[in-house]
Amino acid sequence: MKYLLALISEEGGMEDASPEEMKAVMDRWDAYSKEVVNNGVFIAGEGLQPSATASTVRIEQGQEPTVTDGPFAESKEQLGGFYLLECKDLDEALEYAKKIPYQSGSVEVRPVMDYSEFGYESPAEAAAKATAS
Amino acid sequence: MKYLLTFHHRDRSIDSASPEEMKAGMEAWTAFDRETTDAGALIACEPVEDPQIKIAVGEDGERTVTDGPFAESKELLGGFCLLECEDLEEALDWAGKTPLRPGSTIELRPVMDLSQFGYESATLSPVKANAAA
Repeated sequence: MKYLLALISEEGGMEDASPEEMKAVMDRWDAYSKEVVNNGVFIAGEGLQPSATASTVRIEQGQEPTVTDGPFAESKEQLGGFYLLECKDLDEALEYAKKIPYQSGSVEVRPVMDYSEFGYESPAEAAAKATAS
Repeated sequence: MKYLLTFHHRDRSIDSASPEEMKAGMEAWTAFDRETTDAGALIACEPVEDPQIKIAVGEDGERTVTDGPFAESKELLGGFCLLECEDLEEALDWAGKTPLRPGSTIELRPVMDLSQFGYESATLSPVKANAAA
């Protein structure tokens, strides 16, 4: 079962960090990424640029999609990054979620939907099968 | 440059869709996956279930686990897609091609480049993974 760990926190706070402080933070994330890769659960994971760099596309019936600058929702807490992990069950996903090297923030744990009964195969699975065969 | 597209919906169509509608939707997504894969852009694309669990990390590093559902977000995160694009314009083109139903919103966020801090993303696109295999 795949789980999305959505990393949500208040933005900013690192602007005044020294290069040493930045490096210490990055080392913790690096260690976390290495752990999930080495344990064979890692599928994808990225940090996002600040929400000010976001673009938003809105789709409405009978209208051309509209594009606006800025995030989907203006809120203090924003999605700052994510991990997509392959876990045995929710318990394992929660263990990894608890290890996220946040100083302060929230991790939302979301199971990925299984649409295989409707004939849909996730591209990550299709790629894994192609590599295995 | 990598872009994360997050998909937000006002409601969950899966609850009211007929098997035929579901199948048609999945075919449209499979076609989108194929097109983005053939273009070398697709890294990951997954639908996610409604939030179930949140883990909050406090200033003191304390982890608190909360069970959902969570009502605060009216327009739910329903899925995401991670793409490798030339620029924002290409990312917007792909966003326009997603077979999302009317009433949906897509937020596009550029992924952070942390290589200056010695951090390399471990995420590998299916296209690159296949080439390396």
